[in-house]
Amino acid sequence: MSVEALEHGLVGRANESGWLARGGLLRRLARDRVAALAASALTAIVLAAVFAPWIAPYDPYFTDLTKSMQAPSGEHWFGTDNTGRDILSRILFGTRNTLVLGLVGVIVGGAIGGALGIFAAYYRRLGGWIMRLVDIMLAFPAILIGLAMAAIFGAGLSAVIIALVIATVPDVARVARGAAVGVMGQEFMEAGRAVGVSDSALIWRYLTLNCISTIFVFLTLRFGQIILIGSVLGFLGMGAQPPTAELGMMAAQGRDFLFMAPHIATIPSCAIFVIVLCANLLGDAFRDVLDPRLQT
Amino acid sequence: MARQIVHRLLISIPALVGVLFLCFCLLQVVPADPAMVIAGPDAKPETIAAIRQELGLDRSIPVQFFEYIMRVMRGDLGRSIISNKKVIEELALTIGPTVELMVGAMLMAVPIGIGLGTLAAVNRGSLTDRFIMAISVAGVSMPVFFIGLILIQYVGFRWALLPFTGRTGPVWDGGLPSLILPALTLGLVLIGPIARLTRTAVLEVLGADFVRTARAKGLRETVVIVHHALRNAMIPVVTLIGLQAAFLLGGAVVTETMFSWPGVGRLAVGAIVSSDFPTAQGAIMILAIAFLTINLLVDVLYVYLDPRVQST
Repeated sequence: MSVEALEHGLVGRANESGWLARGGLLRRLARDRVAALAASALTAIVLAAVFAPWIAPYDPYFTDLTKSMQAPSGEHWFGTDNTGRDILSRILFGTRNTLVLGLVGVIVGGAIGGALGIFAAYYRRLGGWIMRLVDIMLAFPAILIGLAMAAIFGAGLSAVIIALVIATVPDVARVARGAAVGVMGQEFMEAGRAVGVSDSALIWRYLTLNCISTIFVFLTLRFGQIILIGSVLGFLGMGAQPPTAELGMMAAQGRDFLFMAPHIATIPSCAIFVIVLCANLLGDAFRDVLDPRLQT
Repeated sequence: MARQIVHRLLISIPALVGVLFLCFCLLQVVPADPAMVIAGPDAKPETIAAIRQELGLDRSIPVQFFEYIMRVMRGDLGRSIISNKKVIEELALTIGPTVELMVGAMLMAVPIGIGLGTLAAVNRGSLTDRFIMAISVAGVSMPVFFIGLILIQYVGFRWALLPFTGRTGPVWDGGLPSLILPALTLGLVLIGPIARLTRTAVLEVLGADFVRTARAKGLRETVVIVHHALRNAMIPVVTLIGLQAAFLLGGAVVTETMFSWPGVGRLAVGAIVSSDFPTAQGAIMILAIAFLTINLLVDVLYVYLDPRVQST
């Protein structure tokens, strides 16, 4: 029921336009100390990832076997990996790849899913078929889609991105359809049709613009999960290939040296945990502000 | 109720055909020609042609798909390219361990999750509540493999308390120790979402009129919570557990790979890495069908738990 419940909560609020006032939203978020902390941490992480080439202390691909598997020290804050590469630098670059994977998955998946959901609400007859298709997509857990994509296209970032997009589409489509059905019932839709507004204008200007905020909020809630799926696929070896730095894959490589140098696997895992935790806390705060019914 | 179940069964048929079609596509779009892979690098063209004909690769796609469905219905999923064993036989060996792992994870996660969630709801706003909610948010944010890495490193290696590679046998035959760590890894991820939803559901029910009535009748608080609140709060929780099945299957793939657990997930990963497409297709199909079945069961259970659904 969680998806439907969420749909309900979000859709219910979307029709009351009050929360869209950005200032009010941000002010209420700032009052929540945990959310404020998560937001600042996430901002710092994103900045660190964006400016990785400038702030990384070492070259993330420079190997030095004389320095392999060093524990964290003043010289190498997070230690070095099995080939002597600086882990802090690799984490910075890895975070970059991991965040890009998540963002592309959420944005592309959100666009496709949103369009499907809105079409399904506007064209009722087509809608049944679209939603059936969405149900079939839901039958494939994201990890399985990732495995299948890696089997077809070969392991790599593109296989993971396709899997993340497919994992995002069905849920977003359901949320978008829920929101769009709500908007369809409003009088202005009927009025628009009565004065002869074209289908494309009705769908874009009337329907989509009224649903987009709902979809956006849902995507922020999903972002953490998508990052998690991406890193798990990386861990399974279906994603980025060495020497590219990607957090999940770095953890998998460290697994082979778990008993000699546990920090090689633990630090990237912690990095993923912190990113996803911040994203989830922020998503929860968004939901609490936007749907006070769930605020307990 | 019977009508509803039949209706629900009919709805899942297109999804099943979709799953079959996707698995069939997996065999079609692979870059390597299966006939050439089987024949080896220096086979004669006639040999390849013969294998193509034997595999039915020379016929049209719709015909091939129809034949594929017929073969699947007969339980014929082809032979593994690597081991040349029948895929269905390899799968049969792996299903047991995967079910064991998932049931083990559920048995750990469901009681703990429901217990923690109820405890948090009953002590709403207290330190206990905050602590439980903090743990559950952390649990939701943790990659499965992180939990596995920690358990392997400490419980398995440093303290040498439990085995952490492979499966020694069925649970009833001395296999329990080797099951604990993988099941715990998979189960810990589930506790968070279950606890959170239980808390919300119990809180909602605790405010309901019938709970006030039960209290007014002078029933003991434990009876009110267990018999009145919890039973009604179970409806969304059961659904969530069903929805988590996808998550659990995905998690099982990682857990099996980490702990060398001989299940369907590890078979799938191994088959993909070694380009063994018949095996990969079979393993993915089994996992998807398992997920469809769990969802079906959850919906049926839902009708049983919430008689109001019947009338709609």
